[in-house]
Amino acid sequence: MNDTMTRESITAAATLRDNAGVAEALGRSYAAGFVTEIEMTGLPPGLDEETVRQISAIKQEPAWMTEWRLEAYRHWLTMPKPDWAKLKIDPIDYQAISYYAAPKAGPKSLAEVDPTLLETYEKLGIPLHERAALAGVAVDAVFDSVSVGTTFRKQLAEAGVLFCSMSEAIREYPELVQKYLGSVVPTGDNFFAALNSAVFSDGSFVFIPKGVRCPMELSTYFRINAQNTGQFERTLIVAEEGAHVSYLEGCTAPKRDENQLHAAVVELVALEKAQIKYSTVQNWYPGDENGVGGIYNFVTKRGDCRGDDSKISWTQVETGSAITWKYPSVLLRGDRSVGEFYSVALTHHYQQADTGTKMIHLGKHTKSKIVAKGISAGRSSNSYRGLVKMEKGAEGARNYTQCDSLLIGKKCGAHTFPYMEVKNPTAIVEHEATTSKISDDQMFYCRSRGIGEEDAVSMIVDGFCKQVFRELPMEFAVEAKKLLEVSLEGAVG
Amino acid sequence: MSQAAPLPLVASLLDMPLPASGIAWLDAARQENREAFAAGGLPDTRVEAWKYTALRALGKRSFARGDAAATSRAVAASTFALPGVDGPRLVFVNGVFRADLSALDALPEGLTLQPLSQALHGDAEPLRFVLSRHYREVDDAFVSINAASAVDGVVLRVAAGVKVIAPVQLVFVGAATHVELAWHLRNVIELGEGAELGLIEQHVSDAEPTQLATVVSDIELREGAQLHHTVLQNVAVIASLIRRSSVRLHAHAQAMLHVLELGGALVRHDLRAELVGDGARFDTRGVFMPHGRQHIDTQLAIRHQALSTTSTSTWRGVANDRARGVFRGAIVVEPGADGSDASLGNKNLLLSPSAEIDTKPELEIYADEVKAAHGATVGQLDERSLFYLRSRGIPLAEARALLTAAFCRAVLDDLPNEVLREHLSALLTAHLPA
Repeated sequence: MNDTMTRESITAAATLRDNAGVAEALGRSYAAGFVTEIEMTGLPPGLDEETVRQISAIKQEPAWMTEWRLEAYRHWLTMPKPDWAKLKIDPIDYQAISYYAAPKAGPKSLAEVDPTLLETYEKLGIPLHERAALAGVAVDAVFDSVSVGTTFRKQLAEAGVLFCSMSEAIREYPELVQKYLGSVVPTGDNFFAALNSAVFSDGSFVFIPKGVRCPMELSTYFRINAQNTGQFERTLIVAEEGAHVSYLEGCTAPKRDENQLHAAVVELVALEKAQIKYSTVQNWYPGDENGVGGIYNFVTKRGDCRGDDSKISWTQVETGSAITWKYPSVLLRGDRSVGEFYSVALTHHYQQADTGTKMIHLGKHTKSKIVAKGISAGRSSNSYRGLVKMEKGAEGARNYTQCDSLLIGKKCGAHTFPYMEVKNPTAIVEHEATTSKISDDQMFYCRSRGIGEEDAVSMIVDGFCKQVFRELPMEFAVEAKKLLEVSLEGAVG
Repeated sequence: MSQAAPLPLVASLLDMPLPASGIAWLDAARQENREAFAAGGLPDTRVEAWKYTALRALGKRSFARGDAAATSRAVAASTFALPGVDGPRLVFVNGVFRADLSALDALPEGLTLQPLSQALHGDAEPLRFVLSRHYREVDDAFVSINAASAVDGVVLRVAAGVKVIAPVQLVFVGAATHVELAWHLRNVIELGEGAELGLIEQHVSDAEPTQLATVVSDIELREGAQLHHTVLQNVAVIASLIRRSSVRLHAHAQAMLHVLELGGALVRHDLRAELVGDGARFDTRGVFMPHGRQHIDTQLAIRHQALSTTSTSTWRGVANDRARGVFRGAIVVEPGADGSDASLGNKNLLLSPSAEIDTKPELEIYADEVKAAHGATVGQLDERSLFYLRSRGIPLAEARALLTAAFCRAVLDDLPNEVLREHLSALLTAHLPA
């Protein structure tokens, strides 16, 4: 299946490359505003304790969950808005946001979907049967994916993997949710995590029981069945002793969404010898080329290597959103546990990103590796901010960090702010960073071999990001490469 | 930032009449800076620049101002004597100029070297630009109180084209008093076009003074000027010292700084360089070696603002016992500073399970025709090197000492004055654990 997808993607892209007209039409313009009929049944804008209670009631949650949300809300009220990031953020009116909207009715068939959006899918090489689901066409209209989805569900159930929406999990598996929810990112962890805890609408719950290796990349399943989970998403993944899982969030396709503020929380728990691989491809609406509009993506993501010999790996490709502000982190609690962070963050036009990771080493002989690649174009600002902390007990712990920035154009900024705090004399921390532009020599070399300017740039950028793309599930690696090409259109010349 | 009741430190530093100079603009600037300090108070660790240096303990202490006996205190010349250094010298004891300890006879032509207090009696106008500055930023607290309170300091000028090779020695001595003393010094150093200067800045103690000193230096290098500047900070481990040095480099000016941070209880040095002229070059080599309960914080910030500017920075840190070493090395390349080439390396050794190193190399790049790189490590001695030495019959302790010494001495490699280099190298070795 992977093979087919890749081949399809490559052929699609190859056809498109020749079609200059289509490419031009696509530009960097983002398809939105194609929703025709909107039926809204939701809560009016505004936030108070009553709103929190109502959300909980709509979701038919048990009393402990309502209380949990209320506690988070009360804490949120006491918290100051954080302002330390290298970001310019217009003030957010939290009372102007509607905290619960019923799922909106999308277009009824692909024929109703904005053609430019379809062209972007085409360009990214997204398989035909997935396009409808991505475009928000009601799932029951997509025959293929339903059957595919059902097969997957059966396979997962046989393996004993629990994979469902968070609301379902709260109803069906309350003891598991109660045990793990908020245990990695406490309700009062930070301003946006507290807000999320109070009002989260839905999200995903994954539980891999002891010794189980999840039979498929959850990405594949997830992409087809992705529901509109709203702006306050909550994800919890628990891998018991010796369990393995790979999960992919988001997709390369531009996402249909009108919400401005996204404050999601993702919690990962890895028990002894468990491994979790979490990949993100984020391509939300970045605003137009003048910096008007776009999504604020303020996300708290944290993994907890609770057991010895566990491993958590974050991979992210961030190209969308007007502002990206997140630091997927790993708490290396178990001895010999491993944390990894691979990131490509691309900003163009007026986009801003302040992203990176935190590796907190507590256990003995823990290891972490950070590879961050930032690409800035247009008038954007792209910062890497990362913390590596070796606590007193981190005997023999090891960290290696590499972050490289690539500048395309004269008006953008690329910044690196690594923090290293070491309290154990046997720990070793290494950090390296470079900033450069695509050199004239590289360009000349490519051009002299008949490669066009844009293609040359995307080739060089692809090489620059290779280390990270290698970590992505295969079909997404192919798409991610194309995504960077699409995102960088108009950056050169 | 303002507290309900000012901290004892803030109150004590403010509890003194403003010095009256009789110069309207200077008195106004002092007043303004004093108000800024009173309003801002001390930065807490939520202020990014003070994240790793907490002022809580210092803030609870009070300091008296003015050592009436400073002009006559006996200070042995051995306190500041350096082999290979025998040039003009300016000495301050507890913030007060000491003519008897200074060597100002037969200054080479084109060199002006005098205490600020004297310079202000003459033509104060050339100092106006620097001394009328207002410091209001949240991390400026000690600079604003310095600007309000310092009545003396160094005024050093080298006329255009003049080369002062025998290094000028600036000595700041803290001497023990029966009260906890605070003193402030303000230095203004200017190198004219094409001028060249060798400079040694020494911070030392006589006996064990429990005091707080602030030293603010403004250094300006005109076109093509060259500065070789060595800083030796070796004050008693109970003295606190807070410095800000700002260096401005015009076109094709070059500065090379060697910095040794050895002594002090709470030591903070903000070293800021602005490369404002095309082709300017700024190089720093530094080492900080806190032990015991020392806290040594270096904040290096280099701004590339013009075409084809270069900076290199090599810093080493060694923390032992319960000490803490803090380093921030920020490189900013401003829009239009094309052709800039910046590199920074900071390597650190942790020798004890209770010591801590916090390091933060930063890059802020706003131009694309740029080469910028930084690297930082924290760790221990290389096992393979240790093995190599031991396999050749060198005992473990000795092998460690050798490697640690070599690790630190790397920053002195390109110090031109050989005699001085050997002396400083020996000082470093003496600071290492036996």
